[in-house]
Amino acid sequence: MPAGDDQLASLVWQPIPGADGAVIYPLIRKIDTISSNSYLIATADALILLDPGGIADQVEAFSKIIQTCREEKDRPVFVFLTHAHIDHFIGVQSVPAFAYAKAVIFAVQEAGAVALEQGDGGITQGTLLNTPVTPMNIALPLLTRNRSSCQGIPGHLAFPNGAEITITRDTLGDAPVTMDRETIRFGPGPELEVYHTPGHSPDSICIRMGSHLFCGDLLFAASPGIAGLTGWSQENLVRSLTGIGSLLSHGGITRVCPGHGRVITAPDAIRMVAAVKKEALALDDIAELNSERAAWAAEFAEDSMEQVNELFTVMAGRLFYVSYVMDELGESDLAEKTTSLMREDVVDELLLAFRDFAGEHHQRGDAVSMHLALKAGQVIAKLQRSFAQDDLARIIDPDLALRASRLLSDYTTTLRGFTPPCEIAVCEIRSLIEALVTGLAVPACSDEDLLSSGDDEEAFAQILLSRIGTRPILEDVEVVFHAENSEFNALVDRDRLTDLLTYIVEDLVGTMTGQIRIELMNREEKITLTFSGDIPQGGVSYEPRTARFLKGLAQRAGGSLVIQSDGGIQMFEISVPAIL
Amino acid sequence: MDITTADREGKIVLSVTGRVDTSTAPELEQAINRQIDDQKRQILLNFAGVTYISSGGLRVLLATAKKLKNPGDKFGLCCLAPEVLKILKLAGFTSIFAIYPSEGEALAGW
Repeated sequence: MPAGDDQLASLVWQPIPGADGAVIYPLIRKIDTISSNSYLIATADALILLDPGGIADQVEAFSKIIQTCREEKDRPVFVFLTHAHIDHFIGVQSVPAFAYAKAVIFAVQEAGAVALEQGDGGITQGTLLNTPVTPMNIALPLLTRNRSSCQGIPGHLAFPNGAEITITRDTLGDAPVTMDRETIRFGPGPELEVYHTPGHSPDSICIRMGSHLFCGDLLFAASPGIAGLTGWSQENLVRSLTGIGSLLSHGGITRVCPGHGRVITAPDAIRMVAAVKKEALALDDIAELNSERAAWAAEFAEDSMEQVNELFTVMAGRLFYVSYVMDELGESDLAEKTTSLMREDVVDELLLAFRDFAGEHHQRGDAVSMHLALKAGQVIAKLQRSFAQDDLARIIDPDLALRASRLLSDYTTTLRGFTPPCEIAVCEIRSLIEALVTGLAVPACSDEDLLSSGDDEEAFAQILLSRIGTRPILEDVEVVFHAENSEFNALVDRDRLTDLLTYIVEDLVGTMTGQIRIELMNREEKITLTFSGDIPQGGVSYEPRTARFLKGLAQRAGGSLVIQSDGGIQMFEISVPAIL
Repeated sequence: MDITTADREGKIVLSVTGRVDTSTAPELEQAINRQIDDQKRQILLNFAGVTYISSGGLRVLLATAKKLKNPGDKFGLCCLAPEVLKILKLAGFTSIFAIYPSEGEALAGW
């Protein structure tokens, strides 16, 4: 892989400036939840593998390279973990050279060392990812409590394989923002510095050699689906980010090598540290990301993704349609501008990638949901960047873009460990339904709007685009609305109830024929809204996932939903609490 | 995705089964274009076996509608599954080309 000055080339030996002859052989992987990047450093005194990764093949490949290095010059082998999450190390447990030979000295911060020696599934995330962790011998626990009293005094350590190191403990910075550091010398060659940076996990460390800083998952620690993992601490994370931000600002570090994804320059890292810190500061009271929440998030992800898929396909279709009409009118510039508002090819590929990932996940019969939840998080983050909601809303139904946006945001919020915000308030249901039906039956831009914009070319183009892009889906559908003569004040989240009813109307319009019947009734403590339509011959197979999604949305709106197909009629009955 | 082609007295019926998504849409587009290149300009897509259509599939339908708009050209779809019909309706595509309940009803009118 070619690399610029600011990049490390993957799978190529290259020097580490400022580290006296040390060279590095990195494996830079695409970001996923299975395995981390790995970095092999060779000095005259030692071979140091940072984060061997979560895949046996990856570890095996490094094992062979290490073997070649040792044949050229035998040196002790150390494996440092930036933290003991399984995607950073579990591959070693399947490779004999690492799993059984005491020739390899593992170095992990004390909390991680204890977890690994006990085969703990919490700190390592083994339980969350349903991966058993075999207890490991950690010969070199780092930043131990015992050594904290030996500030500035070099300690000498010898290992059964003959390796010897000196290790010196000190503290950087001034109270209250301090960072514990250990400096390790393997011989006369370059030294390695280890900084304790808890937050992502209690045992997280950053490692420096020369101009390179290896920061593990520090820069991802506030991301949805990562913040809240067992052992995560907001307070520690903010302190660690402050410490590393300060370290980077002092100069001398040019490249920051993360645990996942591409290497970044120090100035970029400084900006990212500041952004992550800001994000972390907003994460008060998030729920722990345990197996139950991961399973729930994964289910929510799959249910939501069905709807996301449909919404994005419809939005892309609307844009194509507008573009087609503009082309017909000889307005090719406008046509091109319209299609550029959404990267439909990117969206399609993302949705297909998630579908394939989920398919493989289920095919393997995995009980593990965390990978799926995180994959959905990745896809959704990219989807959020792939469409310009405000610009889209000026051309196609604003409701479509808004619903898509709300859906994506609800998932991200859920994955973060928060409950999606619900604004339960008193709402008059009859007027809500009337407004909904009118909105879905009448064009957004009237003839009058179009005519009055005739003198202004730009305004005319905009209104024309909007008129073509907005499809009143009830335009050709007969809506029969029956409501008892009563008050219909209910406690609901208005936006979410509107979303729910829109999904239902779309479903009826899309799959039914002729007429939609709406009935509103007040029954003591609840109001029921019934939407129904005739099912065409052959019936409609209702996806359980779609039904679950709609029922979940009804709950978030403050009510409940029953879906029935009976005697050629599809019926949706929503109940919401009435205000008496 | 599978495509079978039938010539019904000069009217071409492409029967499609499976998913029309970003990975399969180019195949559908090529199959349609081969017919257009052969001067077959009355094309019906029988989507009875199509369970899903993505925006990539919609793009192919629109591109075909653009190509087949001369006098005498015909382009339409038939036998749509409810979930596919719903997408076409909501996207506004039902006003661009004709959608028929069955192959017979489509060809009878051409």
